[in-house]
Amino acid sequence: MNISYNWLRELTDTALAPREVAERLTMVGLAVDTVHEAGDDFILEFDITSNRPDCLSHLGVARELSVIGRGRVRLPEAKFASEGSAEQLSAVEIREPVLCPRYAARIVRGVRVAPSPGWLADRLRAIGQRPISNVADITNYVMHEMGQPLHAFDFAKLAEQRIVVRRALKGERLKTLDGVVRELDEEMLMIADAVRPVALAGVMGGEETEATDATRDVLIESAYFNPTSVRRTARSLGLHTEASHRFERGVDFDGVLRAQARVVALICELAGGTATEDAIDVRAQVFESPPPVTLRLSRVKALTGLEVPSDEITRILDALGFILVATNGESESDTARASVNATRVNETATGDAESLAETATATGAPQSALSFTAPTWRVDIEREEDLVEEVARHFGYEKIVDELPAGNVSGGYRAGDARRRAARRALTASGFDEAISFGFIDAEHDGRFELLPDLKSAEGNNGEGDAGGASIDGAESLVSLSNPIIEGVTRMRPTLLPGLLDAVRHNFNQGTRDVRLFEVGRVFAGHAFSNEPSMDGSLPREREALALVLTGGATEEGIAGAARELDFRDLKGALEAVFDTVNLPAPEFVAARVKHLSEGQAALVSVGGRVVGTLGRFAEEVAPSYKFRQTVFVAEVDFSALLAVEELPMRYTPLARFPSVVRDISLLADRRVTFAEMRGVVNMLGLAESRGVELVDVYEGKGVPEGKRSVTLRVEYRSDERTLRDEEVNETHQRIVGALEAECGAQLRG
Amino acid sequence: MSAEDSEHQRQIKAVSEAFEQEFERFARLRAGDVTRLDAAPPAGAEALLRDLSDLRTRHTGRKSALTGLKKLIGRVSAEERAAFGQRVQHLEAEIVEKIDDAERALKESSAAARIERERIDVTLPGRRLRRGHMHPITLVWQRIEDIFVSMGYTVEDGPEIETDFYNFTALNIPAGHPARSPQDTFYTTDGCALRSQTSTVQIHAMQRRHPPLRVIAPGKVFRRDTPDATHNPMFFQVEGLLVDRGITLAHLKGTLTEFLRRMFGPDTRTRFRPSYFPFTEPSAEFDFSCFKCGGVGCRLCKGSGWIELGGSGMVHPNVLRAVDIDTEEFTGFAFGLGIDRMCALLYGLDDIRLLFENDVRFLKQFS
Repeated sequence: MNISYNWLRELTDTALAPREVAERLTMVGLAVDTVHEAGDDFILEFDITSNRPDCLSHLGVARELSVIGRGRVRLPEAKFASEGSAEQLSAVEIREPVLCPRYAARIVRGVRVAPSPGWLADRLRAIGQRPISNVADITNYVMHEMGQPLHAFDFAKLAEQRIVVRRALKGERLKTLDGVVRELDEEMLMIADAVRPVALAGVMGGEETEATDATRDVLIESAYFNPTSVRRTARSLGLHTEASHRFERGVDFDGVLRAQARVVALICELAGGTATEDAIDVRAQVFESPPPVTLRLSRVKALTGLEVPSDEITRILDALGFILVATNGESESDTARASVNATRVNETATGDAESLAETATATGAPQSALSFTAPTWRVDIEREEDLVEEVARHFGYEKIVDELPAGNVSGGYRAGDARRRAARRALTASGFDEAISFGFIDAEHDGRFELLPDLKSAEGNNGEGDAGGASIDGAESLVSLSNPIIEGVTRMRPTLLPGLLDAVRHNFNQGTRDVRLFEVGRVFAGHAFSNEPSMDGSLPREREALALVLTGGATEEGIAGAARELDFRDLKGALEAVFDTVNLPAPEFVAARVKHLSEGQAALVSVGGRVVGTLGRFAEEVAPSYKFRQTVFVAEVDFSALLAVEELPMRYTPLARFPSVVRDISLLADRRVTFAEMRGVVNMLGLAESRGVELVDVYEGKGVPEGKRSVTLRVEYRSDERTLRDEEVNETHQRIVGALEAECGAQLRG
Repeated sequence: MSAEDSEHQRQIKAVSEAFEQEFERFARLRAGDVTRLDAAPPAGAEALLRDLSDLRTRHTGRKSALTGLKKLIGRVSAEERAAFGQRVQHLEAEIVEKIDDAERALKESSAAARIERERIDVTLPGRRLRRGHMHPITLVWQRIEDIFVSMGYTVEDGPEIETDFYNFTALNIPAGHPARSPQDTFYTTDGCALRSQTSTVQIHAMQRRHPPLRVIAPGKVFRRDTPDATHNPMFFQVEGLLVDRGITLAHLKGTLTEFLRRMFGPDTRTRFRPSYFPFTEPSAEFDFSCFKCGGVGCRLCKGSGWIELGGSGMVHPNVLRAVDIDTEEFTGFAFGLGIDRMCALLYGLDDIRLLFENDVRFLKQFS
């Protein structure tokens, strides 16, 4: 909102320069974003918080400035010639008292619509408004001056010359001032004449009844509309106007006639014409002034730490227009003062501050609590804390000192945070960069990915990812947005993988081919009852997932090119590093069919017999958008589940006292015989002296028959009692070789 | 000169000549004159050393002619003995010295050759796999957490998809408030809200535990903003909450100042500006003195000397009442600040959309 410095000075005296005004107002809560020079004037651009609609005008800003400068506010004059009663000319009927508690209409006859005089046009231009014609400009001017939106109808064009405030009828339309034909609905409040809507109440007038060069008589509307109703209408039409902005936040119920009189006076002065002596002022609802709010003086310090003298408290509140109605629970003796409540406007009475403070202290007993009634333009005052804020902001937030709370409370991280951090370190050490993707994904991914078992079970589905497509959820078990910001991006992600695959695509498009990324984040599906006491209903299930994606070469820091391409085992190694770092039992990997992974290159990951995720080569046929020119490997695990697994106890094992002997075995075996099977065969023998099998090398290709591969294993032999003799080792080794040959169909290579 | 004498002289000369002849190839190898060796293949120096050692054995060893001469000394006539002995000794000293010199020279040049052979280029890149990088959001998140945990705060958490109660009602955001509109807040088709501020965790925390409490709640939040250089529909916030007896705005300011000093440097100052948030009263926005210019005004702080960071205030009595905390006994403060914004400030980001594009060229700049 733009405020003119010169205009402001017409309403209150200030010795402050424009930039000082901006600074001081910012420090009482009226934030000034910029100040710029405009001819002989300065324009201050404000960002007014939504609780202070009373400051959406020059008058409102002047009021705050007068409290700072201990000056007073001058109300603009409203003197003009008048004749006849409005009720003889027109009528106002409010059919929706809740949506429109007050509507005032006043008529000015014999106006000449013409361009505005220079000073008026200039002033509007200075605050960024476009001058149209004198009548329209005056209503606009007064809104910016006093905060009350107003409208001028061409009186002759109103059917039966009367106003009906009602809801729109089904199918009704209205061409608004901006030339757009608006489809109306029955929730929208309209200003209508006897037959049709003529304005969107509180939002925008209609084109047909606009004051034009031909207009002779105008009806000036000044009203109070229900904020929620105006907001709803403005939102549903996507029409945000200066008027709706103010009505949505709440205008001064008692300022309706004052602003109207100001408009009428200016019209009479600048466009000629004669006003009616009065307005048709329909109050469809009794607008109860809010009950007084009591401020315990001790509470100011208790909440702000500020020592504010009591006379300063009363000065500030009085200057802001608050009326002291009781001291220490006893009604003010000066009842006259309380009675001005209804009609008083603080602009007339700033000089009262001292006398008021005197009155308060004069009552004898030390004040401990003062009760105030808020001025009618303040829609934000309900309780003691609100008064504390009023006092504090004008006493000066800058006087608040830095103090650290006493107390000996011990802090701490979330359960699992140490492991979260360790996992991140392990992954970055493995060459993975951390990614963060949006929490919502395109619905096109529905059904493409195998979800984490726990999300699936959220829907009572225990499909384990084999063979079927039934394991994933129909879209109905996913969490969907009703108002996405990007078209089609309607699902709360049930998996992190699309986000990471999007990142891979982005990096490929940028010419980066070596990409290793991980993400830790929440995934969503289904519904589960919240385990916390909430007042309403159930929440979707949230799990923390960890996903990895890897593609390109095994690059070294500082070296161009890569020695080799990354593959499944690099991804698996990174995942194992996570398990290892967070001190979990080693994960098990079992080949399986997984929806989004290539057949024969996919595995389920489990820990302690429970499946926690998947990994393997991404199957590009899953989505046209993910057809990449190079192989991509992905993994996703249920990180919540990992964090729930108890850490392995750390215990010392005595070091071996006797030396061990290692023997290598090179075997030629079918490709489908797995390393795990071979190791299993050795372990199944349960030979006390064999202490473990490790892989030395796997080779296939030249020199190895089609369908076969050469596997070299290293077995360690050791006894805890003595040094093994060669013959003993040989004998055990022979048993192992024999078992491998027999059970794995392997041949010993030369 | 006697015949014996001249015979001795001849013998000495013969020994000397035999030595000189064989030693000739080493003769020029004096310390410092090793250029020829440097040029020679490295193995050359070692072979020469071996040869020299053989030569020493042959000419000074037990079976050498020189040793023969020394044995002869005793048998030489008395009058000749002294002179003869002297000459032999002289010859021996000369031979040994020459061999020693040559050996020293050879060893030196051999060592130099070895050094050259094994010289490394210390500027070649260290051998290590390309390492990964944590996301800048994570880095700032952890820094903030660490500071507050050290100040006695407990890190807490809540769901990202919330009920209306936690996201709005309990935070004193009444029905019809603009923040609730579907223009601003994401809703699921089941009517849940994607949390639009981590203030929701305040409520969870106060339900879980009784005051006094100090809570910090970092997390992801969602607002329906169209992405641009300064907005994303998803971002990260930290909410702080402290409820205890006798807490005032001064404690809030002191706490924020302490935090910001640890974050941006010991000279950091903070400033409160009155503001409005539904869940605090009184409310304040807080700014801190620009860490680039120290408060005199620069591009970063747009000349004002201050950087806006977040919102704060005394917990609204309605919020405390919603979780059954006696507002007469306890007061509290709450504050919220954007992690993304801190990232932008700390790392000089001019477009925060980069944060979620996951471009490796961007990510690898942080560690």
